Parts: sequence; structure tokens; C-alpha cells
Amino acid sequence: MNQDEKLSIIKDILLTDEREFVSSIENKIKILENTVNKRDNLSAKVNPIIDEKLKTFIKEIPDTLGPTITEALKEEIKNSKDAVVEALFPILGQMVKRYVQHEMKLLSEKINNQVNNTFSFKRFFRKTKSKASGINESDLILQEQTNTKIEQAIIIEKGSGLVLAEFSKNKMADEDMVAGMLTAIKSFVEDAFKKEGQNLQYIEYDLYHIHLQNFSSFYIAIVVSGAYNIVYKDKLEDKILKFASNQKVISTLKNKSLLTKKLEDFFKNEGI
Amino acid sequence: MKASKKIVIIGHFGVGKTSLIRRFVENTFSEDYQVTIGVHISKKTIEIPEQESISLIIWDLEGQDDLKKTRSSYLLGTNGFIYVFDSSKPLTFENLNSELKFLKENYPNVPVKVVGNKMDLVNKTYLAQYSSVFKPLVDFFVSAKTGSRVESLFSKLAKELI
Repeated sequence: MNQDEKLSIIKDILLTDEREFVSSIENKIKILENTVNKRDNLSAKVNPIIDEKLKTFIKEIPDTLGPTITEALKEEIKNSKDAVVEALFPILGQMVKRYVQHEMKLLSEKINNQVNNTFSFKRFFRKTKSKASGINESDLILQEQTNTKIEQAIIIEKGSGLVLAEFSKNKMADEDMVAGMLTAIKSFVEDAFKKEGQNLQYIEYDLYHIHLQNFSSFYIAIVVSGAYNIVYKDKLEDKILKFASNQKVISTLKNKSLLTKKLEDFFKNEGI
Repeated sequence: MKASKKIVIIGHFGVGKTSLIRRFVENTFSEDYQVTIGVHISKKTIEIPEQESISLIIWDLEGQDDLKKTRSSYLLGTNGFIYVFDSSKPLTFENLNSELKFLKENYPNVPVKVVGNKMDLVNKTYLAQYSSVFKPLVDFFVSAKTGSRVESLFSKLAKELI
């Protein structure tokens, strides 16, 4: 036995424990790698822990995050009122529409009952008016119920938008500013569509309906409150045409005070 | 009954058209720049000494770097134009000649006042540098910020319209 063989035997005797230890570590690392690198094995180990933590987290959300979220939402709503209104507007619009439909249904039933169950002079006159004018009796009742009123009448020069004459029951807005803005809107819309001979005829603003009737060198804007339906529109158009021809508007366009007097006399009565 | 006249304010973006009107109508000024979209209309009635009062309906049009791009229907029936440029920005008055030529050709009988705004931002040396442009064309140098000569501008135009 030479020197090297003797040394090898001594090494074997002295390092047996270390080799076994290293071998066991290698095995453990292989198992660990197997667990970490294989999704199923890792899931089996980790999922129960995550599930448990999640359950606890969900249970504790109201207490831990609740006040912070509420405070953040309050602040966000306070800082973004316009955005909130923008988001809610379509939903509220639908709700209002449904409510109005419901109310209209009730009103319609009320009108039907009124028509069917009552006899009065008012009904007699309404029936006569309906036959004479060709307007449906229920439309006449609706007109009575909704109380349509002419609030303001303005004769406006085309192009410049300057007021030629104006009449209003209650001073609603400065007629010069209204006439200017209406003319600007009309110009914009009519330019945008670029169709020869077409005119803007109607604008709805909040509770008001603005009826626009065009003539060659001027147009007439009538601001109406209450219900503005096709029957009312037809009547109003006729009334404006009658005004323009009977009152010889074209020949008095240059005389603001005379035209204003004529406009007032013609439109001061609410009925059309 | 007082007469009403349509005044249209035109010029490049950001030259101070809206500020000029606000100074004249409300006597206020704000450093915040808000771009005018489309058109904004204001009104002010002024008394002309020894004559009737006159209502100026002022159309503030959105800025355009080329007057030909302005919606022509906005200019219909105009009684007086105010062409505004920024005295401190040569870019806003470099085409002044052609812009005024366009107005004269298309609206031959309508008075035009050419106005250099933001006078508070320039000095005499600067004005002298551009005197060849300014002298023959500019009617008023004003400052919407300080209010300098704003009243005179509108009064002068109003007198010409009566």
C-alpha cells in the first residue's frame, strides 16, 4: 500500500459524514426545485396560504380600507363635480324620461276621463272649436293643460343679427344679445350643412322653444314657453305669415318704433 | 330709439381681442388666456356728445391667422371692423397689408380700425423698428391690460358710424 492509497482510505474515513450531508442537501434542493419550478406543485403549496390570507383580508376590508376609500371617493366627487354630473346625466335623463312618460300616461288617462265623463259648456265650446279648426279635441285639452305662451318676439335683420323690433311680456334677456347669438348659431348651422335654401327653424333652450321663421331680408324669432307641438307650430307659422303680410312689415323695416308697436299689438294676446 | 351697430373684432389667435372687449364693456382684465371658440357677443351703449346714444353689438370672433378662413356669414351686415394685432409679436402683423386689402375689397364701405394691442409690452425703440409697417396702417395703439386708449378707440369708431 503506497502513500496515496493510505491517504485515500483516511479521507474516506474522515469525510464520510460530510459526503452524506452533501448528498442529503442535493436531494433537498432537487425537491425544492421540483416544487418551485413546477406550477402545480407550487400552487398546491402556496394556494392554501393565499386563500387563507385573502379570506382574512376580505373580512378586514371594511375596517381597514373602508374609511380611506370613503374619504378618497368623497374628495374625488368634490373635485370632479362636472365629471360626476357628466357620468350621471344619461342615467338621470333616462329616469326623468320614464317619469315623464308615466306622468303623461296619467295625464292622458285624466284627459280621457274628463272627455268621457263630463259635460260642460267648456267641453261644448272645445268640441265646436275642434270641429271648426280640425284640431283634435285632446290636442286642444293638452294645449289648455300645458298653457303655451309667447314670451318674446324679435324681428332680426339677416346677416347682421341686429334687432329691427322687439316685444316681450317679461324682460327675459337682452334682445340684442339674443338676436346676435341666434344669428351666429343660424349662420354656423346653415354654413355647416351648406344646403341652398335650408334654414334653421327651431332651437330648444331649457324650458323655452325658439321658433325661427325666415323671410328674405329678416327673420322672426318667437320665444315660447309651455308645450310646443306640431299643431302649435303650424298655427304660429300662420300667425307670423299673417303678421308679415297684413302689417306690411317689409315697408316698415326701417322704422323701429312703428314696427315695435305693430309687433306688440299683434303678439300681446297669448292665443294664436 | 337708439341705433344699434354691429362691430366685428378680428385678428390672430391670442392678440387680446376678448381682453380688449372685456376692458371696454366691463372695465376688467384677466391674465388667464381662454381661447374663444366660434363667436362671443357683447353689447355696450355709449353716449356720443351732442348726439344720440349708440348700442355697439360687438362680435368677438375666434382668432384666425388668415382672415379668408373666417366664416363669411359672421361678417355679413357688419357696420365696423376692428382688426387687432399684438404689437409685441411681429408674426401677428406681418400680413397686415394683405388682410386689410381683403377687407377693403369685400367690405368696401365698412370702416376698419387697425389696432396694436399690448402696448404695455413694447418700448419706443421697438416701435421705431417697425415704424414702416405701423405708421401708414395703424390707427390706435392700446393696452387692454392698462386700459390705455381703449375707450378712445370705440368712441372714434362709434362717431364714424352715426
